[in-house]
Amino acid sequence: MNIVACVKQVPDTEALIKVKADGSGIEEGGIKWVMNPYDEYGVEEALKLKEKNGGEVTIVSMGPARAMETIRTALAMGAEKGIHITIDKADEYNTAAALAAAIKGINPDIIFCGQRAIDDDSGQVGSILAELLGLPVVTLVTKLEIADGKAKAVKPIEGAQLLIESQMPCVITAQKGLNEPRYASLPGIMKAKKKPVDVKDAAALGITVQPKAKIVKMTPPPERAPGKIIGGDDPAAKAAELAKLLREEAKVI
Amino acid sequence: MGEKFISERNLRFLLYEVFDAVSLTRYPYYADHSREMFDMVLETAMRIGKDMLYPTLGEMDKNPPELAGDHVKVHPVVRTFMRECGEGGWISAIAPMERGGQQLPSIVNFVPNGIFAAANYSASVYLLLTSEASHLIESFGSDELKETFIPRMFSGEWQGTMALTEPQAGSSLADIATVAEPTDEGYYRMRGQKIFISGSDHDGVDNVVNLMLARIKGAPAGVRGISLFVVPKKRVGENGELVFNDINVTGLYHKLGYRGCPINQLSMGEADDCRGYLVGEPHKGLAYMFQMMNAARLAIGLGAAAIASAAYYASLEYSQVRLQGRRMTEKDPATPQIPIIEHADVKRMLLFQRSVVEGSLSLIAQCYQYSDLAIVSEGDEKERYSLLLDLLTPVAKSYPSEMSILSVSQGLQILGGYGYCDEFPLEQYYRDTRIHPIHEGTTGIHGTTLLGRNVTMKDGRALQLFLEEVQKTIGAAEALDELKPSAQKLRDALEKLQGVTAHLLDIAKEGNREVFLADATLYLELFGIITIAWQWLLQAVPVQKALRNTDGLSETDVAFYHGKMYTFRYFFGYELPKADGLIRRLMETDGLTVEMKAAYFSD
Ligand SMILES: Cc1cc2nc3c(=O)[nH]c(=O)nc-3n(C[C@H](O)[C@H](O)[C@H](O)COP(=O)(O)OP(=O)(O)OC[C@H]3O[C@@H](n4cnc5c(N)ncnc54)[C@H](O)[C@@H]3O)c2cc1C
Repeated sequence: MNIVACVKQVPDTEALIKVKADGSGIEEGGIKWVMNPYDEYGVEEALKLKEKNGGEVTIVSMGPARAMETIRTALAMGAEKGIHITIDKADEYNTAAALAAAIKGINPDIIFCGQRAIDDDSGQVGSILAELLGLPVVTLVTKLEIADGKAKAVKPIEGAQLLIESQMPCVITAQKGLNEPRYASLPGIMKAKKKPVDVKDAAALGITVQPKAKIVKMTPPPERAPGKIIGGDDPAAKAAELAKLLREEAKVI
Repeated sequence: MGEKFISERNLRFLLYEVFDAVSLTRYPYYADHSREMFDMVLETAMRIGKDMLYPTLGEMDKNPPELAGDHVKVHPVVRTFMRECGEGGWISAIAPMERGGQQLPSIVNFVPNGIFAAANYSASVYLLLTSEASHLIESFGSDELKETFIPRMFSGEWQGTMALTEPQAGSSLADIATVAEPTDEGYYRMRGQKIFISGSDHDGVDNVVNLMLARIKGAPAGVRGISLFVVPKKRVGENGELVFNDINVTGLYHKLGYRGCPINQLSMGEADDCRGYLVGEPHKGLAYMFQMMNAARLAIGLGAAAIASAAYYASLEYSQVRLQGRRMTEKDPATPQIPIIEHADVKRMLLFQRSVVEGSLSLIAQCYQYSDLAIVSEGDEKERYSLLLDLLTPVAKSYPSEMSILSVSQGLQILGGYGYCDEFPLEQYYRDTRIHPIHEGTTGIHGTTLLGRNVTMKDGRALQLFLEEVQKTIGAAEALDELKPSAQKLRDALEKLQGVTAHLLDIAKEGNREVFLADATLYLELFGIITIAWQWLLQAVPVQKALRNTDGLSETDVAFYHGKMYTFRYFFGYELPKADGLIRRLMETDGLTVEMKAAYFSD
């Protein structure tokens, strides 16, 4: 099977995010970068499919030079090769267009994306990518089976589950619950260095980035008031104090 | 609430800015590695620590191992972790590639080991023991032993142990009495009892491989009659099946802390069917075992520093949110209370912890660097690094072990009453870390080793090399104005250490060995303080260089370097002066403790 997994490098969920003074984005200095957690589910599913059916997994990522670290992480988990699209940042449409241009030549049987990236939280790229490649897409997948040349995907909806059968090739966007992503292994880390990664810029992909949307302003959320620890040994008294605070101070009950 | 237990930033600082681990890749032996890989090792280990180990820290303490019939039941995460360590290659990390390892430098392997120990010390021990026991077979075992045992240990299916201690032979290994009787079949029939053997039976693995010291029947008394054996819990039968090897768990000890890993009492040969396989030559067992013991000693120093690190971050976080009291200058009781981290005395306690944690980690990394350099160098140079490693091992084991207790205690103090209660992990860390000055040789034993053996080995060459290393750092620090006064302080302390050493060696020459070694533990303490001061000066050099031009640095980096400088100054201002009291005592040598009679302790 020819499998593609798209990954994005995002700030660690524990990183302290500061918005730039001019509101144009976030301060990037001193931030720890990681693979978008939803993309990890995609990579893991891609690796499992490969282990079952044979074939190879190609990792595709768009981002600045540091995005290479995330590609290497996926290679250390077991993917075969990577494509690094060296466009620092773009809106969702242009990101999907860049990915589509890089993936086109590969003719994959299946493409994985995370259901959204935890930094911009837009959840659009997987669907736009499918559209641009003329492929069906199943979003928010928590279970996947490939049989008889079809993808059978489970997707939770309010109070129920949908079982969706899709023709292949298709795009799957991965949701938490799909699997438990593996850790990179030491031998995997050693091998990752030697695996091929194609580095391509916009020109090499034959695209030009013409933004369709732009971030006008980014503002930090209001600062949270400091927490309160309710002291004392008597659980009943502590609960009463908590109820009082919830009513009088937090005004939530 | 964050759940930080170790600083990734500090690990990177040690690895790249202080010890330049990447420079090791110049040597052919390490040429396949790169910084990119080292980073991935760190990140992967952090994830395992955060996702798998830290969440079970408290559970493993509250549900300690139990004896369930004929075997010991442990927390299920042990099996998950051991499997991950096998599949992930963490057990075989530093083993040579030709043996299925990854040939990782020890100074890099220090990172996952430190992370795992900080996340959950008990869990980390299963990995360490297996890794070190397999290296021992690899170094001295026959091909057959290697083929039978190493792959299953590397894969995490079989646990490794070190089985030395017996009821009458704790510190005094010369008194080991377990007997190995030769047979015509190539194996030995083992009989005896071991106590306190960590990980020597549990259901997180399919088999246990004990590296056991015993005496071949008729062997000479003392350490010259001790041999090393592989004694598995289940031996491999003729058709590859596993057969019970007549080792019974006769007891499980209930411990103060570090409760997630069992220490068992073992009885070998109750049915006269316990087989042991000799490793290397007869009567050389203790010398072989020293390889594992020395590795374990560094790992224990690291474990102690790691627990202190977890305690430091837990107390730091608390100090930032606990509101109590007002500034000394604030007279108005209606003003809001301030976070306790604003109080100078709380900052003192935080600085103390950080100075112990980061000073200890630095010394341990230094030892691993010597160990790596000893592998890739030859001749004189190789000897140089081996001697430095040998000299410093008791210090790198004992300073962190003893100081971790005090450090965690200060962390607990920062939480006040909550520190004493089990809603916060401080009380567990306090109990967990208390083991370190006891196992792998008590602090007393290491004091005697340092003063009675190491400082005079090879005619004092090891000590000479150490002095040169410290002087090299003093030289580098003197080139930076801000560090000059501290460099001078260390130079003075080093001179005094030489004076004390010469004085004590004179007493030894006069033939009074008992008085000579009476305060060896204090000598080790003194040596420890000066060694850690050296490591702080060594760290201060790149810190100062970085602070000269902060233009390209992020805010977090600048804060990190300033924090380092204050902690460095704290160590020189608060800890190094403690050397003076020790020096005064050590120069006195009136033989007080030798003369005091046991009978006078009548009341
Ligand atoms: C949690 C735990 C895990 C352990 N794991 C293992 C293991 O995996 N394998 C293993 O083989 N053992 C293990 N041990 C045993 C451990 O190594 C011993 O407890 C330790 O070496 C001390 O021996 P002992 O307990 O017999 O104390 P003792 O030797 O009786 O020492 C008691 C005190 O006397 C002092 N003392 C003893 N002899 C002298 C001397 N000659 N001069 C001056 N002072 C002296 C000591 O410093 C100590 O303070 C473990 C112990 C514990 C508690």
